Amino acid sequence: MSHRGAAFLRTTAFRQTLLSAGLFALSSFVILAFVYVASAGMMMRRADDAILEEMEALEARFQVGGIRDINRYILQRTVGGGADYLYLLVHPSGRALSGNLSGLPDIQPDDEGRLQFTYRRPPAGGTTETDKDDRAGRGRVIELPSGYRLFVGLDVDEENRLVGRMLNTILAASALALALGVAAGIFVSRRFVRRLDGINAVARSVKAGDLKRRAPRNFTGDELDELSENFNAMLDRVEALMHRMRHTGDSIAHDLRTPLTRMRNRLDEALREDGDIEAREQALERAVADTDELLGIFNAILSLSRLEAGESRSAMSRLDPAEIAIDLAELYQPVCEDEGLSFDSEVQQGLRMMGDRGLLSQALANLLDNAVKYTPSGGAVALRLRQTADGLIEFSVTDTGPGVPEADRERVVQRFVRLDNSRTLPGSGLGLSLVQAISDIHNGLFRIEEGPGLVDGEHGPGLRASLSFPVAAKESKT
Amino acid sequence: MRILIVEDDREAANYIRKGLRESGHVADHAPDGEEGLEMARAAEYDVLVVDRMMPRMDGLTMVAALRGDNIRTPVLILSALGEVDDRVEGLKAGGDDYLVKPYAFAELLARVEALARRRDPDAVKTRLVVGDLEMDLLARKVMRGEEEILLQPREFRLLEFLMKHSGQVVTRTMLLEKVWDYHFDPQTNVIDVHISRLRSKIDKPFPRALLHTVRGAGYRLQA
Repeated sequence: MSHRGAAFLRTTAFRQTLLSAGLFALSSFVILAFVYVASAGMMMRRADDAILEEMEALEARFQVGGIRDINRYILQRTVGGGADYLYLLVHPSGRALSGNLSGLPDIQPDDEGRLQFTYRRPPAGGTTETDKDDRAGRGRVIELPSGYRLFVGLDVDEENRLVGRMLNTILAASALALALGVAAGIFVSRRFVRRLDGINAVARSVKAGDLKRRAPRNFTGDELDELSENFNAMLDRVEALMHRMRHTGDSIAHDLRTPLTRMRNRLDEALREDGDIEAREQALERAVADTDELLGIFNAILSLSRLEAGESRSAMSRLDPAEIAIDLAELYQPVCEDEGLSFDSEVQQGLRMMGDRGLLSQALANLLDNAVKYTPSGGAVALRLRQTADGLIEFSVTDTGPGVPEADRERVVQRFVRLDNSRTLPGSGLGLSLVQAISDIHNGLFRIEEGPGLVDGEHGPGLRASLSFPVAAKESKT
Repeated sequence: MRILIVEDDREAANYIRKGLRESGHVADHAPDGEEGLEMARAAEYDVLVVDRMMPRMDGLTMVAALRGDNIRTPVLILSALGEVDDRVEGLKAGGDDYLVKPYAFAELLARVEALARRRDPDAVKTRLVVGDLEMDLLARKVMRGEEEILLQPREFRLLEFLMKHSGQVVTRTMLLEKVWDYHFDPQTNVIDVHISRLRSKIDKPFPRALLHTVRGAGYRLQA
């Protein structure tokens, strides 16, 4: 954080913009360079063609009229200046005979006999002074059969100047593109950094304990907005978990304190039971039973935490829910009968779902436990498995007990919530929370509704607890 | 029986050791996996009770090393990790049974005795006999004296398990695990109800009871 001012230089956005600005500048340079090479080449080619043409005309003149004719022609052309071409006819001795150039350029011709040179313009219109500036020229030299050398050239200074200006323009344009790109990069990444800073500031204050802060959003749906959205959703979840943890902590303290106090009193009592060994033994036995109850609550809390953390997905497999229902019906039928309840089961065969047999059995066992626990003798308990009209696999447990008032139905699923009339019965208050958690990791829906109604006016409205799950996709190999 | 307890918590080890001695067994103690491995290699034990998490060498590594040496002594793994995945991992490493902490001593004793019994060639027996109660595993028939007893398939499995462990205490959790394959404890007394059904079939009509309730622990089938 020591270089706050230059933070944008380190951002990905800045580097990306810089890279694309550089690439843009490079590619425009390449394109302009291509244009440059092509047009410069074309101008020179045109000059070369004109030179060649004039040269050929002079050679033809030589064939007919010999060296004198050429000499006359050149003199005519160059007298008084203003000739289109540059000429020079050199005697075999090296003396210049005629022409508007002071001497042959001291340059070796290239493979095609072309020369590129600089020269100073001869005095024109009576002045004796030669031009001060070097001018660019192109030309061609041939040796005539009689030892004379003939030079024909053109002044290409204008063209060269034009090409030079073009090159400067190209370089300046490329530099400008680069500079604009960098400026855009700085601008874009500054904005980016500002928005990121907003998110980072929220992260820092959350880290410091303020769970209420949320990252700023502009609702454009761009990446940063999406990041903020996800970040906020994560914070919502964290806050909910923290809240639940705090609530759970309080509930654990409350719900464990009661049996612990009871146990402590019993042990204390046992210590003071000096003579009566039987009473002491009874107190100890009850203390052991209390411990088992505590362990039960403890285990339920642990499995609930694990389920809610979503760690138990590994045991999922494709299974027939009928097997689960049949096994549980068989396990609970005698229990119901012993409690004076009628038990009924209806199981639809041939369904397939993805699930964990152990967990699903545990959820149904919890529901059946509740049904047995809360339904007075003479009532009816039923376990059903069927495919519903909308194609879901639905387990349901119904009873004819007191039911759960509509206002409490959402509440009973929460951890440690026990309705007043159940406080006297054994239980941790975690059973339905476990069912909910198991339903959740199976993508299921857990519902508590009014039951099948009164049985001979003596019982409550009853309860219908149902778990519905999606059907497993058809297996590919069968 | 000679039992080796490999457990780093000295107090827990003493508790198990005392209980096992009171039940008439000889128990040795090793405080970590390395020493446990050495002791298990050096002497013949009937059962090893191995804590899963220990310093120097953890329980699963120790058991895997033993199995690598072809030492087949039955192992009961003790662990605070009780999810299905943890159990599977423990059994894969070579453990024979898995007990989640905290546990009642009766549970541990019942499981240790059940493991020792596993070494007997019971598994290949086709006839189980306890007193005048006989089970024919091939014909799926149960006789007491001259009378045939008709059982539901699950009752048959329940009785089979009890007979295979006759004379030993079998806990409710063990029955749920081994007969029903459930790894959770229902709140209602489901097992008691099923036992009492079985009892009414195999004991009630007869003068001598074979299926006994062991208070605070479970059940025992004994002639």
